[in-house]
Amino acid sequence: MKGVTLSREQVRETWRNITGNYSHWLSFVLLLLVAIMVSPSFLTWNNITNQFVQGSIVGICAMGMSLIISAGMIDLSVGSSVALISGFGVLVLNSTKSITLTLLFCLGAGVIVGLINGLLVTKGKIAPFIVTLATMSAWRSVINQMGQGGPFTVDNSMYASFRNIAAGRFLGIPHLMLFLTGITLLTGFIMSKTKFGTYIYAVGSNQQAARLSGINVNRVKTLIFTYAGTLYGLAAFLLASRLTSIQAASAGMGYEMDAIAAVAIGGTSMDGGKGKIIGTFLGVLMLRIINTVLIMANVPPFLNGLVTGVIIIVAVLAQSNKKGK
Amino acid sequence: MILEMKHISKSFGAVQAVKDVSFSVGKGEIHGLLGENGAGKTTLMNILAGTFPPDIGTIEIDGNVVESMTPRKAMELRIRFIHQELNLCNDLTVFQNMFLGYEYSKPGLRVDKKKELEHAQKVLDSMNSGIKADLLVADLDTAQKQMVEIARALLFSSELIIMDEPTTALNNREIEKLFTIMRALKDEGVSFIYISHKMPEIFSICDTYTVLRDGSFIKTGAIKDIDEHQATELLIGKSFIQAHIKDAIPATISDDVVLNAKNLSGKSFFDISFSVRRGEILVITGLQGSGTDELATALFGATSLDHGSVDGPNGPLDMKDIKKVMQSGIGMIPRNRKERGILPDLTIRYNNSLAYFVAKHSHLLVNTKEESDRFKRSQKQMGIKVGSDLDPITSLSGGNQQKVILSRWLQLDADLYIMDNPTQGIDVGAKFSIYKIIAELAAQGKGVIVFTSEYPEIHQLSDRCMVLYKGRCSAVLEREDISEVGIMEYSTGTRREALK
Repeated sequence: MKGVTLSREQVRETWRNITGNYSHWLSFVLLLLVAIMVSPSFLTWNNITNQFVQGSIVGICAMGMSLIISAGMIDLSVGSSVALISGFGVLVLNSTKSITLTLLFCLGAGVIVGLINGLLVTKGKIAPFIVTLATMSAWRSVINQMGQGGPFTVDNSMYASFRNIAAGRFLGIPHLMLFLTGITLLTGFIMSKTKFGTYIYAVGSNQQAARLSGINVNRVKTLIFTYAGTLYGLAAFLLASRLTSIQAASAGMGYEMDAIAAVAIGGTSMDGGKGKIIGTFLGVLMLRIINTVLIMANVPPFLNGLVTGVIIIVAVLAQSNKKGK
Repeated sequence: MILEMKHISKSFGAVQAVKDVSFSVGKGEIHGLLGENGAGKTTLMNILAGTFPPDIGTIEIDGNVVESMTPRKAMELRIRFIHQELNLCNDLTVFQNMFLGYEYSKPGLRVDKKKELEHAQKVLDSMNSGIKADLLVADLDTAQKQMVEIARALLFSSELIIMDEPTTALNNREIEKLFTIMRALKDEGVSFIYISHKMPEIFSICDTYTVLRDGSFIKTGAIKDIDEHQATELLIGKSFIQAHIKDAIPATISDDVVLNAKNLSGKSFFDISFSVRRGEILVITGLQGSGTDELATALFGATSLDHGSVDGPNGPLDMKDIKKVMQSGIGMIPRNRKERGILPDLTIRYNNSLAYFVAKHSHLLVNTKEESDRFKRSQKQMGIKVGSDLDPITSLSGGNQQKVILSRWLQLDADLYIMDNPTQGIDVGAKFSIYKIIAELAAQGKGVIVFTSEYPEIHQLSDRCMVLYKGRCSAVLEREDISEVGIMEYSTGTRREALK
């Protein structure tokens, strides 16, 4: 066979390809090795499922964030939207005593919350950063007013059956893990197999060219926010089920940050146009692993945010190095 | 000031923009610098203003050689450059813009706004501009902005003022005002270098001229010794005739009208009417600022029409929705591939499929095999050179990128194609293969409208050619009447045809 010897250039090119297209896998494996070194018990089934359970609700939100960032936008209203919907969701559950109606309410409310963001961005022509900053503030305020400082607590009559949705297991696998996996597959399918997915990348890549190719840019953006909003609705439903008591002031706090971080660590370009759903999925897990490693290594909990911050910067720097040669 | 530029050469990569050009301007002289787009005028002026150094050659001012010119040094030598594109900050006031970088200061690191305002207003008044110096630039119209640019050059006493197409946004009255100011300054001994495509302006204001073509010096002399026709001929040179692509791929023009535009008016074009028949290529041309750009986008529904209607192959078009225009059988290749054509993060395959997805693909899902086959067909038809269609489109050469964009629209199998500068910025070989594709489209019975300002393209492609001058149709020429001199004369306003 000829051509077995690779030139320096080819080796470098291959390496660049690996670090470029599979950087999220690379960092995931590295991080996993670190975690196993710190605590050999990391790879137990119990711990693995626990990581998924901890990360799944934010992870579902991060899938919506992935679409938004791929189209070159941002959403800061994640945490407040989740708090709003889950608080009201508990009220709906307590008054209707129907889990199905509660789920439908949460999804519907998510659609509305997403539509509001989307229409303000497209019809109102306001930057997504500003729109979602405003809705972030507004939704938190509404739910605080509704709660008047107290929690929204699921009635005892519904407690067991409702809590089982998030806490239960199917064939030993936690429901939450299944939810996250399902939403990841669905979102990945949308992004890679549908026309709509192509439009999202097109809008994020070059809005002008996308418009001149006949794509209705405003409709695409509104749909993205609506899809993301629906996922927030699902996340809110699961959060209510998991906690069974929603604190208006603190529920969902910081979800937007974790979601954006997961997307960034997962290799999605903050300028839009590029990114893979599997990257975001790994990003969610990586955030969890970092968290666990820090606890196991006895790092003071207050420094947790510092480490996460550094890792985000490193992840994004690695991306920009790729782009600017 | 007496300026002499001697044996200037400048290359950008493999392109030699200026080749051994010598050029001189005397005191109190208005010197017209003539040449087509890409002839090297702006490069030469940028060298003079210190934007970048020449590879070879010297600049002498009043007999002294100026070493390593910089923009700062040019300012100190009292050379002012009024650029073609407006360089104003919209959110600052007129006087702040005029003094930008050269502010009057007061003790305590403060700007002496009062003094600036008074001085700026004095200059604006002396120009008879009617502009208030404390207005925000954002509130001015384009003509007023251009006046502010000119006023900036007059703020501090200058000895040489370079004007690169200063009148593109001005109307006749404003141009006359500008000329009055120029003549007054000339009497004070100020010299001008005046770059313009518009012959009547050159002949009314300039004393002397220099013609550049393809980066080389062609001729210099006094304006009174030539006329507009001679100048136009010098500008374009003896046009070389190449084999006609249209003769090799003949098309039959039927009587079947595929697009009929009536009385179209928009932001910078007025009362334009035309029709295109099956098998016909209509070329629309004009200088920069003549309204061709806006007309092209308006025809596709991408910018709004103020007035007029367009009938497509299947009746009147809804010009507010690009997708509907596409679905009524019209495709458009936009100008400026980088800004408007390519989606840099997408693969070649999806760049190729995008318009089809929008207008014809009725399923939600994408079938990978179908799209891959679609690209293979395009590749064969257009001769696109690629490694893998899953590579990003940015990995291709400019010509191949443009072929992908063209092929994106051919997927629609439209009845009419609008092509806005379809060969912009690509090499000659790729240009010819695109001409061939356009001629083949006509031969298949499609209508084609090509917007271009390059004569070889007009010559190769057009069955009919419409020329715009200042937003209005100045001529419609049949194939046998098209000549480079004629087109240049109609687009520079030297000749105008009375139209029915």
